[in-house]
Amino acid sequence: MALLRRAIALSVCFTCPGCAGWQSALDPHGQQARGLEGLIWTFIWVAAAVWISVMAVLVVALSRKSGRGAGNERRMRVTVGGAVAGTAAIVLALTIISFLSTRLVSSEASHPLEIRVRGYQWWWEVTYLDARAERVFTTANEIHIPVNRPVRLQLSAADVIHSFWAPNLAGKQDLIPGRENSLTFSAQQPGTYRAQCAEFCGVQHAHMALLVVAETPDAFEHWRQSQLSPAASPTNPEQAEGRKVFTSKPCASCHTIQGTSASASIGPDLTHLASRSYIAAGLLQNTRGSLAAWIADPQTIKPGNNMPNVPLTANELRAVSAYLAALK
Amino acid sequence: MTTKLSSAPLAVKSLLMCMLLMSSLCGCEREKRQYRTDPPVAAALDEVAPMPNGIAGAPPDAYVAAGEPYKSNAYDLSQGKQLYSEFNCSGCHAEGGGASGPAFLNGWWRYGPQAVSVFVSIRDGRPRGMPAFKSRLTTEQIWQLAGYVQTIGAYSAKTSAPGRNDAMQSRPSENRSPAKSSYASDQWPYSAAQ
Amino acid sequence: MQRSRALDWLITPGIWLIFSAPTGAHDPPSSQEISPTRYSELTQINRDNVSRLKPVVSFRTGTRGAQGGAPLVVGSTLYFLTSFPHILFALDLNRSGAPVRWQFTPEHDPLAAGLACCNRVEHGPVSGAGHINFTTLDGRVIAVDPDTGQVAWNVRVADIHNGETLVSPPTAAGNELLVGNAGDDFGARGWIAALDAHTGRQIWRHYSTGPDQDVGVTGGQDRGSKTWPGESWLHGGGSVAAPILLDPELGLLLHSTGPPAPWNPEPRPGDNAWTSGIFAREPQTGAVRWFAALHPHNSYAWAAGTADISVDRPWNGNNRQLLLHADSDGRIYVLDRASGELLAADALLSKSTVSTPKTDLQVRNICPAWVGAIGGNPALAGPTGLLYVPMSRLCMDIEARNASYLQGTPYIGANVRVHGAPGQPRGAVVAWDLERRVAAWKIDERFPVASDVLATSGGLVFYGTLDGVVKAVDATSGKVLWHWQTNAGISGQPMTFAGPDGRQYIAVIAGLGGPYGVASEYWIDRRDATAVRGLAQSVADLPAPRDPSGTLYVFDIE
Repeated sequence: MALLRRAIALSVCFTCPGCAGWQSALDPHGQQARGLEGLIWTFIWVAAAVWISVMAVLVVALSRKSGRGAGNERRMRVTVGGAVAGTAAIVLALTIISFLSTRLVSSEASHPLEIRVRGYQWWWEVTYLDARAERVFTTANEIHIPVNRPVRLQLSAADVIHSFWAPNLAGKQDLIPGRENSLTFSAQQPGTYRAQCAEFCGVQHAHMALLVVAETPDAFEHWRQSQLSPAASPTNPEQAEGRKVFTSKPCASCHTIQGTSASASIGPDLTHLASRSYIAAGLLQNTRGSLAAWIADPQTIKPGNNMPNVPLTANELRAVSAYLAALK
Repeated sequence: MTTKLSSAPLAVKSLLMCMLLMSSLCGCEREKRQYRTDPPVAAALDEVAPMPNGIAGAPPDAYVAAGEPYKSNAYDLSQGKQLYSEFNCSGCHAEGGGASGPAFLNGWWRYGPQAVSVFVSIRDGRPRGMPAFKSRLTTEQIWQLAGYVQTIGAYSAKTSAPGRNDAMQSRPSENRSPAKSSYASDQWPYSAAQ
Repeated sequence: MQRSRALDWLITPGIWLIFSAPTGAHDPPSSQEISPTRYSELTQINRDNVSRLKPVVSFRTGTRGAQGGAPLVVGSTLYFLTSFPHILFALDLNRSGAPVRWQFTPEHDPLAAGLACCNRVEHGPVSGAGHINFTTLDGRVIAVDPDTGQVAWNVRVADIHNGETLVSPPTAAGNELLVGNAGDDFGARGWIAALDAHTGRQIWRHYSTGPDQDVGVTGGQDRGSKTWPGESWLHGGGSVAAPILLDPELGLLLHSTGPPAPWNPEPRPGDNAWTSGIFAREPQTGAVRWFAALHPHNSYAWAAGTADISVDRPWNGNNRQLLLHADSDGRIYVLDRASGELLAADALLSKSTVSTPKTDLQVRNICPAWVGAIGGNPALAGPTGLLYVPMSRLCMDIEARNASYLQGTPYIGANVRVHGAPGQPRGAVVAWDLERRVAAWKIDERFPVASDVLATSGGLVFYGTLDGVVKAVDATSGKVLWHWQTNAGISGQPMTFAGPDGRQYIAVIAGLGGPYGVASEYWIDRRDATAVRGLAQSVADLPAPRDPSGTLYVFDIE
């Protein structure tokens, strides 16, 4: 008995950490995610109960001697009838619960914050929309949202089907080329949540992550204002050299840095690159070192992605990483 | 129903299983994708030796040594196709039909059909309006693009093809359109040279 | 009422037609240019004798491409400019067959050949300050001496490495020459500049997008930058590719601005000021008097349109100073020149049918197509009160795509196919009655009409077709009274002048140019439906020209 109790305790210890924290659907921080979590647990408990009862009945049936008497047929009809009725009732109940939960999860809100998310192989382009054109800006791989305000993502894809999944906040929604889907959710407390692509989209599908940062409305406004400003000017000769390298090399023919001559939109917008926590779509921490490593050899770090290996000398690399690391 | 197979000796069964397994494994490797070219090789791919008039010439040794990739590798052709639309080639060349720039579809090449000529055109530009992409694309990207451009105006159908069109289909697919001669009867009957 | 109306008809076209603005130290010989209303008072060639019109000069230039401009006659010399790379010819009208007096070939930058795709191209020449002035495709404005062809000055005003070209003739305004650029399909920012007509030095330049200081707006709210996200106005387009109109009465410059860049509207939410509209500016400083926004957030790449016409005439009972703008969307916009108030916007033929392009989605049958419903400069005839408009009836299927800005490369973001409007011929010439606001008559044409129109006091209207036929029709009824098959398609301005012998002549340059010209060239493959931005297939049945070389024809009554 003591052994059994110990075994139960140990198994609980192993399973519980899977519930909490980073990128977990069982740790909801948003309204939609809570609805989905309830649905998940409901299904788990109901299905577990059904399974246990079915197994119990099976064990009983296997251990009994067969063949009794005249009452068999009636008993069998009752049993089978009862099982079918029970199954139908449970399925119906689960269907209704599922319908209600999904309706809650996909409900639209009035006056949400509109964000256009466009999936590329293998990064996310994020455009904050606004009724005034001058307040529209573009960033990549990171979304900031104010807490307790509905956010509506307008999802589209540039090449293949992707899927947006921020498990702490909401369910999955596909990004389909040629079609606009939408996902509405809200965060209920500040926090940083990892989202990722949930539809196989090519060789680097596994490294296509996104960070969703929920913050207080004031912090969000502050962030939005800083994203609207043009890129930070170089403050020392190394950064100035870095900007020159950036605009004269193939960098400027794929990326935009507002305030410089780089205005291309094949790759992510880098105007405020240093304000993000990760680079390469959630693959590397955003430090100057990993930035330099990424620029020097993206094909080793993320093979097959669309950023080419641009040949740079050591000095050029140092300068460009200094410049980019300063783009707050 | 018992078959002859189930009653065959064990050796025969094992041999047949092995053959089946091996033939199924052969289906895995279609072609090699090279995501990363060694930097010295990438640098060597830039060393074309064009003729003084910029038409044709010797390809880089590294290119020949590698077996002339970029023309027959479906991945490289697909990357070339993606680069073609990303770098605004279709603004002047349409999807091979031409606009202010010449068409590729008809197999008439102002600077000759050789891969070296196309590479040099993209890398260094040409006097009548083709901009230079030397500072905008890496050498491998230029080769991928050149390989794709040649596919549009190929004289004969190729076995490898870039991916299917994501955009509006406006012409026969790349691997189905051997270039027609520019002296075909439905083109205007005068000399292509001005 | 009657008398002032007659004066209206005489003053504006009359002065411009017969006399050039007195500027130089010596009295310049009388200059005969195509008037701003494209209406000529000459009556020698009229309804009764036009059927006897025959060519007396056919000058084959041996050049190929856009022969868009109108010839200019100064004294007894006829000047005209060929396609890029340009040659300016001066023909002696005193001798039979009009032999060449001199010709001038400016140095050119061949890079511009790659930028000349899809604009209407008309470079001049224009007389002003005692010079013969013209613009070149590769961004220069050049002034030469009329007698010798010696260069008086030669300045570069447009940067072709930025995708800017010059495709319309300069406008002479006293001591100034006004020019505007083309290149919104390359993401080049539109501008208008005033040059000193004597030296070529730039006096002022204003842009079509950007902060108020760049645009020339005073006391505004920087709409030219605030109606664009980020700094996208730097590549916002808004070219000034249509001819600039001078209104000497009100002292105003009137010009339209082209569509915003890129064609795909999604990267540029907002009204995209000040593209796709009409500016009225002060000639001395370029300061903006008013702006009429015709298509805020233009989603269909409708081009700037062609030349506007200013006329004083009654409108709803009151005499008003009007500006007539035949716009690419197929409507005739009537504005008050003094205030910019929009008075009417009637569809010339059928209404446009549009749905907004969205990235990666094909939207079909947007009519008119990007090339616009108006094929050339219209003409306004005083006596009939009719506005004669050359039109094209083409529709497009457009698929918006991601657009990425790279300097010197096209900034479009769309795949386009163009075809004729279902069930309709592709071209038309419409006579629009300004009073009754309906079409008085229309002539259907097999091909889009890309030439400009000339109306004369002899009751005639002249225009040319893409397959090379020059036609004279009755101005009141639209009946074709005369036609002549030339060697190549016509995309320029027919003009008329009185020769040194006092006889009236009609001059037109044949040699297809502009977008339809490119669509018919040998280096285009029509199997691609998007070739020449869709136009190649829209005129796939255009017969080959007998001779693609640009040829000047001068017609006279036999």
